[in-house]
Amino acid sequence: MKLQGSIKKLVRESAGRGFLLIIVAVLTLEATALIQYYYSRAGMREEAEMRAQSQLETNQVQILSIIRQAEAAVHNNVWIASWCLDNTDSLGSLVRRIVADNPEITGSTIALTPRYDKPHPLLAPYAYRKDGEILLKSLATPEYDYPSQEWFTEPIRTGEGYWSEPYIDTGGGEVLMTTYSVPLRDHSGRITAVLTADISLEWLSNLVEHAQIYPNSFGVVLSRSGRIMVSPAKDLDMNMTVQEYAEQRAGDKVVFDSLSRAMISGESGNIAINSGGKVLQVFFAPVEHTGWAMSIAVPEEEIFAGLRRVGIVVKILQLFGLALLIFIFSSLVRNQLRYMQANESRERMEGELQIARNIQMAMVPRVFPERKDLDMAASLIPAKEVGGDLYDFFIRDEKLFFCIGDVSGKGVPASLVMAVTRSQFRAFSAHEDSPAKIVTAMNDSLSEMNENEMFVTLFCGVLDLAAGHLKYCNAGHNPPVILTSTIQTLPVEPNLPLGIMGGMPFKEQETAFPYDSAIFLYTDGLTEAENLGHDQFGEGRMEKILHGRKEASAHLQNMADAVHAFVGEAPQSDDLTMLFVHYLGGKSESIGSDNLILHNNISQITALGEWMETIGEKYGIDMPTLSGLNLALEEAATNVIMYAYPDGAYGSVELSCVKDGGALRFTLTDTGKPFDPTARPEVDINAGVEERAIGGLGIHLVKNIMDSVSYSREDGKNILTMIKNI
Amino acid sequence: MEVKIQKTDNQVVAQFIGRLDTPASLEIAPQMEQLKEETGGTVILDCSELAYISSSGLRILLTLRKAAADKGGHVIIRSINDEIRSVFMMTGFLNLFEIQ
Repeated sequence: MKLQGSIKKLVRESAGRGFLLIIVAVLTLEATALIQYYYSRAGMREEAEMRAQSQLETNQVQILSIIRQAEAAVHNNVWIASWCLDNTDSLGSLVRRIVADNPEITGSTIALTPRYDKPHPLLAPYAYRKDGEILLKSLATPEYDYPSQEWFTEPIRTGEGYWSEPYIDTGGGEVLMTTYSVPLRDHSGRITAVLTADISLEWLSNLVEHAQIYPNSFGVVLSRSGRIMVSPAKDLDMNMTVQEYAEQRAGDKVVFDSLSRAMISGESGNIAINSGGKVLQVFFAPVEHTGWAMSIAVPEEEIFAGLRRVGIVVKILQLFGLALLIFIFSSLVRNQLRYMQANESRERMEGELQIARNIQMAMVPRVFPERKDLDMAASLIPAKEVGGDLYDFFIRDEKLFFCIGDVSGKGVPASLVMAVTRSQFRAFSAHEDSPAKIVTAMNDSLSEMNENEMFVTLFCGVLDLAAGHLKYCNAGHNPPVILTSTIQTLPVEPNLPLGIMGGMPFKEQETAFPYDSAIFLYTDGLTEAENLGHDQFGEGRMEKILHGRKEASAHLQNMADAVHAFVGEAPQSDDLTMLFVHYLGGKSESIGSDNLILHNNISQITALGEWMETIGEKYGIDMPTLSGLNLALEEAATNVIMYAYPDGAYGSVELSCVKDGGALRFTLTDTGKPFDPTARPEVDINAGVEERAIGGLGIHLVKNIMDSVSYSREDGKNILTMIKNI
Repeated sequence: MEVKIQKTDNQVVAQFIGRLDTPASLEIAPQMEQLKEETGGTVILDCSELAYISSSGLRILLTLRKAAADKGGHVIIRSINDEIRSVFMMTGFLNLFEIQ
């Protein structure tokens, strides 16, 4: 739970860090975009201004060119017109000619000042174009009253040429017009008439219409008094003032006012106005010479249309990048989480395995009996955390029950079977002294519950600590090694391992196990330990290490060190278990009493001599007789030691001496192969040197020395009984 | 068990000291192989210090005797005690060896 908490905390922290990272990235992207937006916007605005200004300048040039043409047409005729004033009748034909000669002039008049000509107090012949013809009419009507018209009064007042306010020509078909008028002077320089030329402003609207710098931009030309002269915008009524327009459009009057004021006063610049929910950037400049003002209104959204497109692309890229960032980060977090979870479960598994190992180690006894007649040591080294090897021992009724086993397989499954096997050994050996019966019961029980076809090899021994006698049963396990003065393998029956099939019989075996005998039990993890070159440790190395008289724990330590040195860097491939039992009891009982146990080692014959001396003393036997008995027993025992057991296998022979009336009865018992020495043919003691056989003398001597020699085979034992009357 | 072998011009004397039981017989086997080489001449086995002999010891003596018979030499056994003498008797060795 602790681990899980810390992982959650870590994940929370890294998620928090990631969130922060994403926020920083978003802010950076956004800031970059904003800066870019700001500069782009400023750039676009500048560009719009430049375009508008250049358009305004172009327009101005074109307007001026037309205006100047019109002015030139008028000025060219000033001299003639002045000259004609003396003959007022010619004025009509003059204006007719002016109109005819200048296609841009739609109408022209020469209006006399009222005092100039008495018979015609008012005279103003007016030539104008209508349906391709040039017609003539008089403006000197009481309704019109030309002397009060602006085009008449202004030039007289200023003495210079004057452009009138634009007006709608009602006579000539609803055309917006303007009139240029100049004063005409007589010889004395007195102003006596005004010459005018009407100009249609249709070309101006064409000009403005063709000067669209943005798809929906439009130009507006204002007159001196702030009236709208031309505009292609449909909702702009001609001849309306800007203020009127603002009222009509519910625009911000203050802004419109300042715009029109600025334009009328001949300034140039730029004002933003809100018109019909749209923001218009209005760039304006005066038209020189005329007193007009031009403006170009551009919807702001069009100025920044490019910016909006770029903005959308940038936004899409930003979102894409952000999504990518989130994806990368979340997969990073996921990976880390997965890794940490895997780590956690591995750690938990390792922790549990460590506990399992401790439990398993606690199952095998670590404390050895503190007895003078026993020196024991054991070790269990699993290849993994837990293993399938086991050993156990305990003492009951002066008997040492012990076992060593190896469950097929390794790891957790093997360890569970190991635990079961060990419990069963304890259970079945609690009331049973026979190793074969213990093993048989364990086999039946293990076979019954063996679902996974796992089997166990086991060696089970019961050592009678009082008698120095070992009973054992081996179920498919490596035969143990017996250490006396030599190192020999304990002969074992080829019984099957446990757990394969219930109801099977297991053969029990036994051997004398006298003072100073030791048994070394091991699992194949020892002999099959492999080095990097796949060589096995082997029994040869094992036996070499066992040489020499040492304490049990020293033997196991040496063995573990030797295996470790042998395998080197190679990993431990199998569980390694060893059990060493050194028996140090029984000496006082066997020597000097009626029993003697000899190993199948010829040097043991020396012990026989010592034993015979004690027998001689005990029964008061004379030296020659004792020497003969010694010889007979040596011959009989030598036979067993040399020939009863296979080469290298451990075996023993048990001798006993009982006084039976006037006779001593000697018995030799061994568990070797059946052999009846009495059945051997007699040697011919009278044969010559060449014919004499080398062997066969021993049993001949036994028969000669003893009064009676008999053989029997009982319970898998050879029993030789020899009687000597004394 | 100890065997002392002394060579003179015309004979070899081997003195057996101790008990010649089965382990002792195995122990002295190399010396006996050496002694077997001398059986062409006279080999004297001095048993004055020999306390005991088993069938393995008897086999050694018999091997020497057979080798001497092959090579035309002599094996003389000297100074055996009563126990050994009785073993010799039981095994017919008294008839096989020249005993002084």
